[in-house]
Order: sequence, then structure tokens, then C-alpha cells
Amino acid sequence: MIEIPDVGPLWLSLKVATAATCVVALAGLPASLLLARRSFPGKGLAAGVLVSPLVLPPTVLGYLLLRAFGRRAWLGAWLESQLGLVVVFHWSGAVLASAVAAFPLFLLPARGAFEAVDPRLEDAARLLGRGEASVFLTVTLPLAWRGLAAGLALAFARALGDFGATMMVAGDIPGLTQTASLAIYDAVQAGDSSRAAWLSLGIASIAVAALTFVQRTLPTRAGRP
Amino acid sequence: MNDTVPPSILDAHVVHRVHPGLTIDATIRLGDEIGVLFGASGAGKSTLLRLLAGLARPDAGRVILAGASLFDADLGVDVPLRRRRVGMIFQDDLLFPHLDVAGNVAFGLRGASRAERDGRLEEVAASCGITGLMDRRIETLSGGERQRVGLARALAPRPMLLLCDEPVSALDLPGRRTLLDRLRGVQRAERVPILYVTHSPAEAVTLGTRLFLLETGRVVAEGAPAEILADERRAEFRHLEGVRNVFSARVAGHGEGREWTRLDLDGGPALTVAYVDEPPGARVGVEVDGDDVLLAAGPVQGLSARNQIEGRAEAIAVHGREAEVVVRTGELRWLVGTLASTPDVLALAPGRPVWMIIKARSVRVERTPG
Repeated sequence: MIEIPDVGPLWLSLKVATAATCVVALAGLPASLLLARRSFPGKGLAAGVLVSPLVLPPTVLGYLLLRAFGRRAWLGAWLESQLGLVVVFHWSGAVLASAVAAFPLFLLPARGAFEAVDPRLEDAARLLGRGEASVFLTVTLPLAWRGLAAGLALAFARALGDFGATMMVAGDIPGLTQTASLAIYDAVQAGDSSRAAWLSLGIASIAVAALTFVQRTLPTRAGRP
Repeated sequence: MNDTVPPSILDAHVVHRVHPGLTIDATIRLGDEIGVLFGASGAGKSTLLRLLAGLARPDAGRVILAGASLFDADLGVDVPLRRRRVGMIFQDDLLFPHLDVAGNVAFGLRGASRAERDGRLEEVAASCGITGLMDRRIETLSGGERQRVGLARALAPRPMLLLCDEPVSALDLPGRRTLLDRLRGVQRAERVPILYVTHSPAEAVTLGTRLFLLETGRVVAEGAPAEILADERRAEFRHLEGVRNVFSARVAGHGEGREWTRLDLDGGPALTVAYVDEPPGARVGVEVDGDDVLLAAGPVQGLSARNQIEGRAEAIAVHGREAEVVVRTGELRWLVGTLASTPDVLALAPGRPVWMIIKARSVRVERTPG
């Protein structure tokens, strides 16, 4: 008899990954635009730091986040005193950890997409009377859209599967911070292989569905419906 | 030279150091006409255009358009691109690939009412010959169609100045002629001053009413295109362009069976050329490669060439194995390329008569639009 497992961890994963993707988009759009279009001192270093979550071991990433956002760390203390927000051992910590881990997967394609937009097209738009916001919304964004959407899908899939960084920052508290990845680990440790299998199937389906959805809805060439 | 300058709509003097070997320092005054910015590649034509447009910021100077100051280094004026009302068309059209033709042409009409917008769209589509293309996607257009769409897009918001950066250089001959025709037409219809960058003498003569000859960033001559190109020939651009003789002419008549056409060169002799499908009286531009002209010490019998033109040698310049002979006929000067020893063989000397022999089919004729 197959037992339908508790879908709580899946639901939490979905929420955390969605929130993390929003955070990535909000921070990643200006960052990728800046890296693609401006030159400033220390640009190489900044780009390296922003991409580093891709090469750092997730536990190291989690440890660094803990050092920055722990209740006694300066950033964590500031957040708690200003916003009353404590990210450690809280689901927002899972959002933070998976967002940071997923960030480079958005930044790299987004930067490439913005770099591929001919700046002379933007100049042409300015000569036709458009201000900066309008140029961005009607020229830059539509032309870069494919790369941005691909980056968002990758970031979402990465956030959905985060394990190490989330574990370090948010902990593994069932019903509170236990996302599907953590629940699968616990299930395996507890010898509950049916639960591990169900959760694995669930998380894999969501990730594949997200990528497929983006691929199918994306125009095959810029602008074509 | 400046006595014929019309009331200026564009009045600009810009100074800009591009690199240690090139500093732009040019004054451009342009009225309701087509000005041609002519020069060899590397002379700074496109950079000058960008400085006038506001795409690059001059180190010093001022740009005044229709009485309004767009840029003034001394007063710290630098009007943002979107408020300059300067239209521009580019060598590689720079159309927006994510919009269709109508979307491109209407791009500069945001803020207009729907009726106003549609009316203007129809108007510029007609004057640029793209009425049938409005629903097309950009990637389905030919090079010539793209340039006409770019022209319509630039004209739609009624710019005070239209800048053209070698817009036909990637087009085939029919495409070129069509675009040049349209430019002439819209200049007259919209009364917008046009500044057109080219290094083609044929385009300069057939399109422009005023030519600015640019050499290493400076305007070294200004005036009627045919005059400048005939009088102000300099070795620098002769070697880049080949030795070309460029004149304006009028169709005088046609031969039996449309075999040939007789042209009267302005201020010069008549010329028989291969048949040109233009009515008598039509204006054309004529281009003769100086290396295609034969020289003879006297009239020659039994030749197939249709033109034997008597002139007077005015100057002879020998450079190594080659020589250039300047031949004067009436008001025109021709440049003829020969081997270094030819002047001696023909006993040519300044002031002595010489005959130029020109095949009808070696004369290139460009229709003057309008």
C-alpha cells in the first residue's frame, strides 16, 4: 500500500524558490545591466564576487551568510533592530540562502543578454524622442528578454534544489524551514525511502515543468509570438 | 566662397579630439537643402555627424538648430538626445528587430493622438515608398526596403535636421538610386535640411546642392559638389577613390534605335554615351574614370571610340611610373592617368592642345533624382 506523503516540504520549497527568484530578479536586473553597460573601477572584482556562489561549496556559502546575517553579526543585528527580521532558522533565511546560491545563474545570462543588445539601437530610440525609462522598457528589455527569462528559469530551478546553504542558514526544522531537499535527506536518513522517492519525484517534476514552461512560452526569435 | 550661403537652419562649429592623429574642427552651416559631407575614410565624416547629432560630445564649440542651442561648450548647454529633434539614418539601418515596420515608423510618434499618428504614418509611408510594407516583419525586408523604413522612422516625428551616415553603401545600384530619389523628394516635401555623409563622388554630385570636403577633420572646401570635386581634387582622396572625373550634364538627345545618348556637360563639351533612359533635358551625373581616357596628340581616324574631345593640357604631374595630366575643356578640368613617359611621347606641355578619346561605354551615367 503506497502512502501519500505530506506535501508540506514541497509547498515550502515552491514558496521559497519563488520568493528567491523574485529577490534574484530585483537585485540581478540592475547588477547585470551595470556590468553589461558601465565600466567602473573594480568591475572585475565585483563581477567575481557576484558570481562566486557558483564556485563556492554551498556549506561555505552558508557559513559566510551565517557570519553576516547571524543575530550577533552586524547585518543580522541591523535587520533585527530595523525591521524586526531574524533570518536564521526562519524560512526567510532559506529564501536568502537559495537566492544567493541562485544569483549567478541569473546574472551570467542576463549580463550576456544585455551585452547583446546593440547600444546604437538605444541611441536610435533616444533620437526618436524617448527617455531612459522608455528606452529600457521598449527596446532594451524586449531585446534582452530571452536571456533574462532563461536566467530566471535557471535561478528558480537552482533555488528549488538548494540544500547546503539553506541547511546552514535556516536549519532543518520540519514545518518551518524544512524544504523538500532537506526533507529528502531526512527521509533517507530515517530509512523512509518511499517518502524520499515521492519528494524527489515532486521536486524534479516542478523543476522540469518550470524549464519546459519557459522554453515553450519563449519566442523562438526576439519578438516573434 | 561664402557669398552663396543660404539662411542657415543648422549653424554648427564643433571641435573634438578623436585621437592624437585626428582632431575634428569643422564649421557646418546648412539651409533648406541637402548638404554632402564628403571625404576619404578616416577623414572624420561619421564622427562629425555623431557630434552634430549629440551621440558624441564635442570638446568645444556649439550646435544651433533652427535658432535653438543644442550644444554650447561655453554656456554648458547640452540638450539630451530625446529633445534635439534630430533624425538620423545609419549605414546598417538600426531598425528595431522586435517591432514590425509600422511599429518602427511609429516609434517616434508616441504622445501624438491616434488620428494624428495614423495620418502621419500614412504620409511618411507614402513619401518613402513603404505603404505596402507596414505589416511586414523587419527580417523579411530587403536592404533597400530597410533603409526606406529607417528614413520613414526618422522623418515621422518631423525632425528639424536629418543626418544620413552612408545609408546606401550596403545597397545595390537600384536600391541606391531609389533611396537617393526618396531623399531628394522628402527634402523638398518636408523642407528638412539633410546632411549626407558619403565618399562616393557620384552620390555627392547627384544628391547634394552643397558639399563640404572634409580632410583630417577639417572642412577644406565648401560649395557646389561638381565644382569642388572638379577643382579641389587632391592626391589624398584621388588615390583612395581612383581618378574619377565627375560632372553634371543634361540629356541633349538620343541616337537612332536607342543605341546612344548625347549629353551636354555643364560648362563643357558634348559627350556620347551608351543609351540612357531619360528624356531630353533631364539632368544626370556623369563619371569618367581617368584611367579610361586615352590621350592623343591630334585627331585620330578610324577609331571605335565615339568621343574625341579637344582640350588643352593644363598641368602634368609625374609620380614614379605614373603621370596625371590635367586637361581643360571649356570650364571643366579632367584628370587623366597615364604612364610616366606618355607626356614626353606626345610632346605634351602646359598650354599645348591634346585630344581626349573616350569610349561611350566607359562613361558612367547616374540619373539625378527629381
